[in-house]
Amino acid sequence: MLKYDRTALRTYSMLGARGAFGLALNELAAENEDILALSADLCSTSGLDRFAQNYPTRFYNTGIAEQSLIGIAAGLAAAGYTPFATTFANFAALRGCEQIRHYMGYMAENVKVVGLSAGFAMGMFGITHYGLEDIAALRSIPNLTILSPADSTETVKATLAAAAHKGPVYLRLTGGMNNPMVYKEDYTFTIGKAVTLQTGTDIALVGAGTMVAQCQKAAKLLAEKGVSCTIINMHTIKPLDTLALDSLLGHRLIVTAEEHSKIGGLGAAVAQHLAAKTAAPPLLTIGTEDDYGHAGDYAWLLQHHGLTADSIAAQITDFLGV
Amino acid sequence: MTNLEKYNQVFMETFDKAEDELASYKYQDDAAWDSVGHMSLVAALEDAFDIMMETDDIIELSSYQVGIETMKRYGVEL
Repeated sequence: MLKYDRTALRTYSMLGARGAFGLALNELAAENEDILALSADLCSTSGLDRFAQNYPTRFYNTGIAEQSLIGIAAGLAAAGYTPFATTFANFAALRGCEQIRHYMGYMAENVKVVGLSAGFAMGMFGITHYGLEDIAALRSIPNLTILSPADSTETVKATLAAAAHKGPVYLRLTGGMNNPMVYKEDYTFTIGKAVTLQTGTDIALVGAGTMVAQCQKAAKLLAEKGVSCTIINMHTIKPLDTLALDSLLGHRLIVTAEEHSKIGGLGAAVAQHLAAKTAAPPLLTIGTEDDYGHAGDYAWLLQHHGLTADSIAAQITDFLGV
Repeated sequence: MTNLEKYNQVFMETFDKAEDELASYKYQDDAAWDSVGHMSLVAALEDAFDIMMETDDIIELSSYQVGIETMKRYGVEL
């Protein structure tokens, strides 16, 4: 049984998003025989070792064949199962894009695609393995729910929520092992309902995935300069919690932060919503530029692309001129 | 409860083992002490003794006996 005490939350954090996902799916499978796991040759990397060992007839390795991964999952969903199909985020969203569009968008099959190591988590594997365009590729597909949990505990909760949700879901996992902890105690996770982590008056920070923890640290740096921040964990990219966004209109500046291209991701979704407002504050979108840059280790990549707390705070003070 | 009793308790609760099975117990001796179980063990030890383990120590914690020496390095008298 999944727990949310201090020890459990620390365990999830050490396991990272992939390990926490695998743990959650293993527990789900014990309660629900319809839960299946599929992987495009990434069983261990998906955190699915226990699942494969405990439920060998419910685990399918499709090989490095992402389009088949999605297609087979869709067929299993049509037969009444709840399949979780896992592979690296870029491979799922880009190689499997047409299958996601047809089977999960158009046919709305109850498939859960898990995009592993989105953003820069694959580090030295290089740019071919970075997931920087997955949200942009999938956000325009109707019927698809897109989740981006802020830490490993939220990954557990998002996995449970995705299983309970009737309809196609893309679960975007960011970060490596020892994921920073955003949540240090249990809380309520609801698809489509953002979580306000802190209320302030000057700047509204809207983060997704690993950037939520960076926003928390950036807010502390800004507080030292007298800048008061609201922090929103926008764990559901689609459907976007527009009510939460509307509650931010009184701030001087809204900032989005994501481990994704500035084009087509969370920042673009927020910009689209705010564009229709007659009186909205300026929006600063923080993400990767329209450029791949160089490969490197994870920590260096976050720093290089301006996705650390220091850089987020600096970008905000530069924007404000303070 | 002594520190040794607390240490044993962590192993027994994390891996569902009896106390007399612990002395020779090692990583991957059974399905319970896999990579996931390992992280659960570390979190439970950290909680029980109010310590924060370094990555190298987490990797080297390969058996019940090694763990005793590891805990001693963190000032836990066993």
